[in-house]
Amino acid sequence: MFRNLSITLQIVMLVALYIFLYMPILYIVYVSMQTTAIWPFPPDFTGEHYVNLWHATDYHTGFRNSLIIGIGTGMISSVIATMAVIGILKYRVKGSKLIAGLFLSPLFIAHILIGISSLMFNKTLLGLPGNLFSAIIANATYATAFAFLVLLAQLARYDWRLDEAAMVFGATPRRTFREITLPLVWPAIFGAFIVSFLLAFNNLEISFYNLGATPTLPTLAWGSLRHGISQELYALAALINAAVFSFLGLLYILIRSGVIRMDFKD
Amino acid sequence: MSDTVLTLEHVSKNFGAITAADDINIEVGQTEFFALLGPSGSGKTTMLRMIAGLETPDTGRIVIGGTDVTRLPPYKRGIGMVFQDFLLFPHKTVAENITFPLKMQRSSDTEKAEHLQWVVNLVHLEGLEDRYPHQLSGGQKQRVALARGLVSRPSLLLLDEPLANLDRELRKEMEVEIRRFQLELGIPFVYVTHNQEEALTMSDRMAIMRDGKMEQVGEKFSLYHNPTSQFVASFLGSPNVFSGRVSAVDGEIATLDWHGHAIQARAHGGLKPGDAATCYVKSEKIAIETDAGEMSGEIRDVIFKGQYADFLVLLDNGEEVTVSSSHRGQLVKGAKTHIIWKPENADGFPAGE
Ligand SMILES: Nc1ncnc2c1ncn2[C@@H]1O[C@H](COP(=O)(O)OP(=O)(O)O)[C@@H](O)[C@H]1O
Ligand SMILES: [Mg+2]
Repeated sequence: MFRNLSITLQIVMLVALYIFLYMPILYIVYVSMQTTAIWPFPPDFTGEHYVNLWHATDYHTGFRNSLIIGIGTGMISSVIATMAVIGILKYRVKGSKLIAGLFLSPLFIAHILIGISSLMFNKTLLGLPGNLFSAIIANATYATAFAFLVLLAQLARYDWRLDEAAMVFGATPRRTFREITLPLVWPAIFGAFIVSFLLAFNNLEISFYNLGATPTLPTLAWGSLRHGISQELYALAALINAAVFSFLGLLYILIRSGVIRMDFKD
Repeated sequence: MSDTVLTLEHVSKNFGAITAADDINIEVGQTEFFALLGPSGSGKTTMLRMIAGLETPDTGRIVIGGTDVTRLPPYKRGIGMVFQDFLLFPHKTVAENITFPLKMQRSSDTEKAEHLQWVVNLVHLEGLEDRYPHQLSGGQKQRVALARGLVSRPSLLLLDEPLANLDRELRKEMEVEIRRFQLELGIPFVYVTHNQEEALTMSDRMAIMRDGKMEQVGEKFSLYHNPTSQFVASFLGSPNVFSGRVSAVDGEIATLDWHGHAIQARAHGGLKPGDAATCYVKSEKIAIETDAGEMSGEIRDVIFKGQYADFLVLLDNGEEVTVSSSHRGQLVKGAKTHIIWKPENADGFPAGE
């Protein structure tokens, strides 16, 4: 009796939690298809915001810039983090705890500080102007920390003796990486890339300080907050969410069907 | 040895305060099956890893086929290895796993196919070439690991407890097969195990290790029958242990006073009268008779094993001795009996080592 009650309660709480998490996202998709955002009931569906978005060139530039920052940061961060994690886990270098700590510490620095300080450093000491490149570098400082964390957790389960076996059978360290390590751990590296890509793609503070007037999606969204939200923004948010969810869905299908294997053992 | 393939000279290795190898000297000949036997933690794996190049010795020299390889990386040593947990590559098929060493040598496709065919027939893996490791049984994985070690016909094969993860039946079968491969190929095998039955069954010569030290090296028969180290005497076979005080030493034979009985054993380690001594006698080297013998007692229990039986004998002085012998009708529980052994079948060492 009480048992049933507690199970019912758990289900209710779970459903409430999901509503709390997902309703805002679903609501924005709904609003993006309504004529008015002020009180969009009863529903009055329209595709005009999507058409407007299609013609709004500053959103296109912003999207392209965000993509460039995301991909650039994702590549830098996942490559550096992969090298660091292999150094720590495979080669067990001396002082690996300190090295890991230094890689992780940017997690605890406010993004706005990273933004301001990297702008000042790049400009004053290196004489670099604020541009996409310096925004990528600045985003990579903390995105690498996240990528490092993801990879460390994943590769802790990897059996490095497989690499040793390959070396005994004649594979040079480089060949070993290509033949054994990479084919087995690439899902983890890819995961680290996705995390750092998303962080940089979505970042406002760091990009803002390094880019000034050059638009990215988050700076445009923030700007339109001040000048009154246009409904193209809702359409954009809906599209980005759709892209993210279909990507996750695809990943899930690939993992379920065994195309991507997340286990390193036989 | 004129046809020496592998030589270790004064090889030592420390991990911090742990000495994993302490001044090791070994020579392994061209057609030899050499077993490294020792309890877990005695440094066997470290030794193999140094031979393979996965670990660098602190001091000493390793020579393979006349070349000093001490500082050579593993991928330049051209040896085969079978690892303890198989370590098959999970993303490669059986055929890809087996031909991996050939791929690293950039062999041609025809050569790869020929060698694969040959080794697959040798270890009986026909029809499994396209499976992945997770689709194989333990015994099949073992065979793939062996095939991968042998496929490039290396000058030397290292095996690290290759049968430890298999059940008893399979192990017996593989023991015979591995020995057959070695004879067929005519290359030296260095076989690490903590299982003395395995080592004794397969090897020509063996080395017994303890705490990174080589206790005794030699023909397996000589190690078994003529141990010169107390550890080897206590480790091989299932010896009875007798502790007593030496009453006399006559040439090679010492006489011990053991709970009122005078027992005799070969004297090792400079035993002299008055010394406390420990004496080891393998259970099958004790004769058990109903009518006559030196020490008398009563059979407390009979553990029948088929080909032979273990008799637990309670001697009149209150001590228990285990005797392995063929099973006979009159040797039943409760029967009066006598036991005796030849002095050269017992080995006495200074006590307290
Ligand atoms: N990489 C290592 N770091 C520290 N200690 C080690 C390392 N490898 C082995 N040892 C130690 O060296 C000793 C011998 O180990 P090992 O060669 O694996 O023994 P075995 O194979 O005979 O069981 C053990 O005490 C083990 O803990
Ligand atoms: Mg071992």
